[in-house]
Amino acid sequence: MRLVFFFAYAASLAAQPIEFNRDIRPILSDRCWTCHGSDAAAKGIRLRLDQPEPVAAARQLIAERIATPNKAKRMPPVHTGAGLSASEIATLNRWVEAGAPWQKHWAYLPPQRAAGQSIDLLVRARLAKEGLSPAPEASRETLLRRASLDLTGLPALPGEYDGMSYEQAVDRMLTTARYAERMTAKWLDAARYADSNGYQTDGERQMWRWRDWVLNAFRSNKPFDQFVIEQMAGDLLPNATLDQKIATGFQRNHRGNGEGGIVPEEYLAEYAADRVETMSTVFLGSTIGCARCHNHKYDPFAQKEFYQLYAYFHNIGERGRYFKFGNTPPFIYAPTEPQQTKLAEIEARLAAAEARLRPGTATGPLTWKPTLDLTAPEKYTPHYTARFTIATRFTPAAATTNIVSKALPEAESAGLRFEMKDGRLQVNLVMRWLDDALRVETERVLTPGQNYHLAFTYDGSKLAAGIKVYIDGKPEKLRVLVDELNQDFLVKEPFTLNAPEVKIFSRALPPLEVAFLAGTANGPEAGRRQFLETTEAKAWAEVVQIRRERETFLDNVPTVMVMQETGKPLDAHVLIRGAYDRPGDKVSPGVPAIFGTKPITNRLDLARWLVSRENPLTARVTVNRFWQSLFGVGLVKTAEDFGAQGEWPSNPELLDWLAVEFMDSGWDVRHLLKTIVLSQTYRQSSQVSPELLARDPENRLLARGPRFRLDAGAVRDQALYLSGLLVERVGGPAVKPYQPAGLWKELSGGADYVPDSGEALYRRSLYTFWKRTSPPPTMANFDAAGRETCTVRESRTNTPLQALNLMNDVTFLEAARHLAEKIMAHPAGLAYGFRLVTGRAATADELTVLLNALERHRATYEKDELAARNLLAHGDSRRNTELSVADLAAHTLVASLLLNLDEGITKE
Amino acid sequence: MKRRDFLSAAAVATLARGATDFAPKAKRVIYLFQSGAPSQLETFDYKPALERMRGVELPDSVRQGQRLTGMTATQTSFPLVPSQFAFKQRGQSGAWVSDLMPHIAKVADRLCFIKSLHTEAINHDPAVTFFQTGFQLAGRPSIGSWISYGLGSENKDLPAFVVMISQGTGNIADQPLYDRLWGSGFLPTRYQGVKFRSQGDPVLFLKNPEGVTAATRRSYLDDLAKLNTFKLNETGDPEIATRIAQYEMAFRMQTSVPELTDLSKEPDHVFARYGPESRTPGSYAANCLLARRLAERGVRFIQLFHRGWDQHNHLPAQIVNQCRDVDQPTAGLIEDLAERGLLEDTLVVWGGEFGRTVYCQGKMTADDYGRDHHPRCFTVFMAGGGVKPGFSFGETDDFSYNIVKDPVHVHDLHATILHQLGVDHTKLTFKFQGRHFRLTDVHGNVVRSVLA
Repeated sequence: MRLVFFFAYAASLAAQPIEFNRDIRPILSDRCWTCHGSDAAAKGIRLRLDQPEPVAAARQLIAERIATPNKAKRMPPVHTGAGLSASEIATLNRWVEAGAPWQKHWAYLPPQRAAGQSIDLLVRARLAKEGLSPAPEASRETLLRRASLDLTGLPALPGEYDGMSYEQAVDRMLTTARYAERMTAKWLDAARYADSNGYQTDGERQMWRWRDWVLNAFRSNKPFDQFVIEQMAGDLLPNATLDQKIATGFQRNHRGNGEGGIVPEEYLAEYAADRVETMSTVFLGSTIGCARCHNHKYDPFAQKEFYQLYAYFHNIGERGRYFKFGNTPPFIYAPTEPQQTKLAEIEARLAAAEARLRPGTATGPLTWKPTLDLTAPEKYTPHYTARFTIATRFTPAAATTNIVSKALPEAESAGLRFEMKDGRLQVNLVMRWLDDALRVETERVLTPGQNYHLAFTYDGSKLAAGIKVYIDGKPEKLRVLVDELNQDFLVKEPFTLNAPEVKIFSRALPPLEVAFLAGTANGPEAGRRQFLETTEAKAWAEVVQIRRERETFLDNVPTVMVMQETGKPLDAHVLIRGAYDRPGDKVSPGVPAIFGTKPITNRLDLARWLVSRENPLTARVTVNRFWQSLFGVGLVKTAEDFGAQGEWPSNPELLDWLAVEFMDSGWDVRHLLKTIVLSQTYRQSSQVSPELLARDPENRLLARGPRFRLDAGAVRDQALYLSGLLVERVGGPAVKPYQPAGLWKELSGGADYVPDSGEALYRRSLYTFWKRTSPPPTMANFDAAGRETCTVRESRTNTPLQALNLMNDVTFLEAARHLAEKIMAHPAGLAYGFRLVTGRAATADELTVLLNALERHRATYEKDELAARNLLAHGDSRRNTELSVADLAAHTLVASLLLNLDEGITKE
Repeated sequence: MKRRDFLSAAAVATLARGATDFAPKAKRVIYLFQSGAPSQLETFDYKPALERMRGVELPDSVRQGQRLTGMTATQTSFPLVPSQFAFKQRGQSGAWVSDLMPHIAKVADRLCFIKSLHTEAINHDPAVTFFQTGFQLAGRPSIGSWISYGLGSENKDLPAFVVMISQGTGNIADQPLYDRLWGSGFLPTRYQGVKFRSQGDPVLFLKNPEGVTAATRRSYLDDLAKLNTFKLNETGDPEIATRIAQYEMAFRMQTSVPELTDLSKEPDHVFARYGPESRTPGSYAANCLLARRLAERGVRFIQLFHRGWDQHNHLPAQIVNQCRDVDQPTAGLIEDLAERGLLEDTLVVWGGEFGRTVYCQGKMTADDYGRDHHPRCFTVFMAGGGVKPGFSFGETDDFSYNIVKDPVHVHDLHATILHQLGVDHTKLTFKFQGRHFRLTDVHGNVVRSVLA
């Protein structure tokens, strides 16, 4: 059928004048440019067929070589398998005969629109050319369900919009939190959002505050240009707010490798490249990533230009080796609003308490004891995310000696060691000596036989910069030996104390307190110390207590990885063949020449350029993605590629009309969506005749409304919603709904997935914990993007695993039971259930099938009450015990049938 | 359009590329992936010269400045360490196999060793991903999904690509695996591998829930088909016909999969052949036995992943266990396939993601040592499926550090596997992001020397 359509389409083309971009460019690109394109020189080929002048000069040659019967001379070469069809040769010949007219690739020309057009006029003009007419409008109930699923991700309920016009209903949908959740869910795929790091161990990370930012952006209808600027460069905006910094988490959502033994430089290159590729795909619809190793074969992107873009993104001082668990710098504390309030309150109290401390003159004996000393230090277990201090008086007998350790007995093995090596004081927090450890040493060399006060503090940051070493109360200059701690240095061995008086604190003492301990605080500090010991000990204790309260509070404040410039110049090197260890020419930041030559010097300017009128792509690519989410296929089907190898727009004028409308409206997403869903094009019935189906199986011509299966999240969310189980709470950290046991463990041998309980089981799917190496199985079954890389094209398959999932997964069984209870409580019974799920009244035939099914199942369960009880036991929630077990079980099975209907999981 | 037309249209839509490029030598592949990277030095790449060089520094002339992993790059010393396990020549072919693999040694004449595999990645995640997808980073289709896309299934009741996982006894805190290793990348998800599990349902959500019998399910599916057919007739959307067919396949899988995974009817002598562990669900041995049953049923690409081969330290103690896990079951599988006439058209592949270093990682004592990752050479063996039996290809230097003859790149191995299935690796392509992608990227040569 596809072939039939293709021929019909090709035949209709033959009658039209040749248009280079539509008819010729795709052939040249796909068959010729691999060798005769912008990377031709690399293959030693001189003839360029991607530029008008050489093509015009070689017209005769082209005509000859594509048609010659001499196989050895024919182009494309036979061995490439890229041979031209007869109709393609004919098309090329017509073009050559016409003088080989050339056009700049359409996507790099600014979108323009003629006055007086609209979506419907443009669609109808196209249909008229094809001799087709639009379908009638879908019924109101179908339309409301369609719009509600599209705009909120949940269906319209019977009667929900009674008394409202369709437009009023749409307006209401667009202002709900559900709308924001729906839009956010789509954006998470593009932004490769996940709750885990994605490589090897795939430990948890924390980026949900960025997701909250996206939710708020859609909820407040933040203009899309601003939405882009803040995510690309919020950190560089003047007086950047916390929210604007959080927005840049978009560029830290890529995977991060914490595997032991990796070469950090290799992954630093990957992260910056991922940022370039994601930006290119999401905003430019361009496969600039292809130019990472060589000039792009089809599109006008030189390899050098890839690295000019790369230069904007590689300067945030990140580590090549990410932490296995948790966020990797740079990250910021990202308190929620209530937390911000609480934090401000703590900080105000702290400031007040500190103000009460004044250097004084009191005298008296030295009786001050450091507060919060551990009463039983030998029982304390320091670990890699804890703050602690170890301090002692020590007279080294030799230049190399242990001081305090909690480590395996072998040298250079795992554990904590505070020791002296060749006279230098070392702190070794070690999982593996060479590559999984924090190891620092003092520059200063100690003298054996001399008595010192020695201390070090650690702030739990997993960074060498988090260790401070003090000799006689003074901070020492340190050399970093290894700064790659990725796993805990915990061992079962007890502390070994080689010094007489060891103090261990479960906090990182500030320098002043270390000086107190050492007895070396002097000058005004000494005065304060004496003061504290006597008259204001209480005030001091209060300061310490509030500081600790603040630390503890911050420990529970979420962080988010962000962009943060180091301030160094942004230059980068071309990497020869893309290899991290083969730097070539130095390049400065800049956008590819095809987009103009205006200097764009930093990431903020880049962000502003992305959403400027000078960039022909962002608006087009964005409206196309929204169109795709509504119609199943974009106007440009290859949503990720608007280049020469991408597909010609099914309706170029419409694409441009939408792009201009979007920009003219101030990048108003709600306005764009409303404009589309109010169009007659969107409102058409999705019923299709065999003739039209044969002619246009994918509905590219839009002679009917969209009909396709719901996406993975919506399949689950809808079941929860219709059954009354859905817990609607916007934002917050990830939740862990049901998942079959063992899925995490069988991959790693490590900890298994532990489902949450209670309300967390019933949140919308965009909040489900996303582990990249083991995504939630229902999401994976229903074609959700894997979130390992940026994904913008929607994909839908139809598989037996989906059938098993919908019939047998506890999520859907529990939903069916609750839906059954709703059906039983409603006077219309099954007819109501059918209407809930499909949005329309059942026909008599349909109702008969359902009623017969109910009778049959009821008879079965009346005979087998145990089976009925078993069926009702799925899920954590309780059944309504006032209902007959057999009756509820029978209804549950019919409710499950409803949730499995093709129509139930399909938007029509 | 009549219903029948709809169904056939749907059937066309779900078919894969579905054709070979030339007559295949193998109809299916059983890929026994040894995850974590087995040491070639203790198993198949015999290096007697090392025995005299124990503790000697790895010569710079051998290392040639090649990069090492971050785990040993800062080691101050790189002492050579020979295998602690003896080697012997085996069978007519005289293949060198160590004493750790006595059963594999007995089937040596059926095996085709490639001693000169090499790869580009030096760490597990990118290396396993490279082996599975031809690319180090996530996002490309796995080899099984390419084959599923390229050739489809021979059995309408079972998936074309099945994956099974087992945990070895060598290193029990070993490298994890990732769903992407059998994922479909940018191919439609229907081509992804289906994991057969030993815990819970063998296929996720396969079993009817407690309280629903097979008879009840049948009547439920009949009702569902009726309702869906009403809708099909009304809207004319062929996806509905496909959906009806998928529910029917789900129902058939509910019978075919448990029948397949039920080993209770296998006779004792079969279990004896695969070894004592074959009675333990989820073990490598049990998975080998299941692999044979899958092969019998025409499953196109069967892949086992056995974890536990990452011997950075305590290699001698760990590898004994790890080899015991796989030795008898692997040999048993090959013999079993041969006896049933399946080996000739089943290509069996055994190997990991890279090799291990000749120098010691960590502390070297009289009876203990470790080995780091080594991508520059390692051994993979194949059997059946049109490859030369009793044959060895490629050579490494005296240190098993560099290849001195007939290097075989991962892309070459992929090209060869596809070739045996009748597929030209340059023609199995899928257009994505404007490019005609293939498993072998722009590389790969069929290793014709190993073909029978």
